[in-house]
Amino acid sequence: MARLLSFVDARPQFASPKSALLVENDKSLLNYLKRCLKDEGYAVRIAANSDDGFRLYRDYAPFNVVLIDYYVPQIKEFTIDLLAPRQTNGTALAMAIREIKPSQRMIIAALGGYWNASELLLPRELMHIPVLIDILKLHSLLERIEVEQAIEALTDSELQRLQRFAEFRVRGLGRAARGRTWEDLLSEAQFRTFIGTGATREGRHWNKHVDIVWHLTGAMRSISNCWKRQFTEKEAYLISELPIRDAEGQEQSLLDNVPSGHLAADERLIEKDEEEHVFTAVKDDLEATQVLHGLLEGLKKNEIMSKYGLGDKEYAAVVKRILKLLGRGNGGSKW
Amino acid sequence: MNQLAESVLGLSDEAILAETHEAGSDPEQEAERTRLVLRQASKVIDGVSNRLLNLGHAINPNDWRYGQWAYHNKCLYCGSSVSFTTATGEMRGEAFEGLCPESDQYAIRRRKASRCV
Repeated sequence: MARLLSFVDARPQFASPKSALLVENDKSLLNYLKRCLKDEGYAVRIAANSDDGFRLYRDYAPFNVVLIDYYVPQIKEFTIDLLAPRQTNGTALAMAIREIKPSQRMIIAALGGYWNASELLLPRELMHIPVLIDILKLHSLLERIEVEQAIEALTDSELQRLQRFAEFRVRGLGRAARGRTWEDLLSEAQFRTFIGTGATREGRHWNKHVDIVWHLTGAMRSISNCWKRQFTEKEAYLISELPIRDAEGQEQSLLDNVPSGHLAADERLIEKDEEEHVFTAVKDDLEATQVLHGLLEGLKKNEIMSKYGLGDKEYAAVVKRILKLLGRGNGGSKW
Repeated sequence: MNQLAESVLGLSDEAILAETHEAGSDPEQEAERTRLVLRQASKVIDGVSNRLLNLGHAINPNDWRYGQWAYHNKCLYCGSSVSFTTATGEMRGEAFEGLCPESDQYAIRRRKASRCV
């Protein structure tokens, strides 16, 4: 625990003042969004039109996030270039900011009753910018941005720490890793942090009071444990280890499936079964057993009669008894 | 191995860089490699979101469910399925097969608009 605390304390927390620029003309929305941003720990600068927004950006950039209303109006000074066809003042401002700082994190707010982001006309350059349609999603959008910024700010040694940690965890999984690499584990931890704000059990919420490295290592620990739990030792390692089941679902031995070199092995097995069945049925009848042996040796009727001293009628009676004992008629019988 | 992993967390910045150096690797290059892995993972997620958006589909980004190897979600409008793997970025599902039947007109408008500007 002490080591955990010393590690957490060793690094400055992500509690340094965060700044946001909010460009919105609707007063009630402006106040609401401002309050939301403040609640998230942002120091907020506000503008009611795109020109003022652009001036504020030029004077006070960079901001951790810039939130722009899609339909914010423009005053007539034309601080920003004339709009391209089908561009709104909001998207024009976003384009202008992108010119100054391409990596600036922005959110386009379209809170005027749109169904989804695809209803908005956004220039190709802004397609990657998150669009806020539902005001309740603001928190998760801001959280995603914060995670990205924290990850981008990682130092070389922190990145090394993450890599080494992931490497050892994956090596510790052995076969349970099932071909996954340390890169997979790290990517997984990052993705789960991105979706962490939701209600899904897969998500990993990042508590900002905890260092992002500590958070990601915790996520990797949990994910690798989960991978281990999902793996069973019985899992096949080679194709030959795959369990083979017959039509009734019974697991078979691999030896059961080794083909015989004999061309009619199956038929021979069936014949053997039948022989046992027939001899069991006539075991108390000496003459019947003798005739059967003769037939199995491939002897003809006369040879059998001669070998065992049977007359014609006696031979016919013996065959009749055999068939009766077997419960079969003459038709189709090889006897 | 897990204990070795935990011990990495206790190392100082200098020690972890020195360890990488002693192992014959360039700490800067290794760090850059890790940075790329993280950026790539982020791109994969954005790639999935943008592709769905262009097709007019809408998903709840907080509703990804983890399956055996991939994450799964559904379009909020048409219900078509979508899945992707964080490791390879491979995307699958009905949602990628075409425009969302519930909001295709918007997607077309949007693509036309993006060509205009």
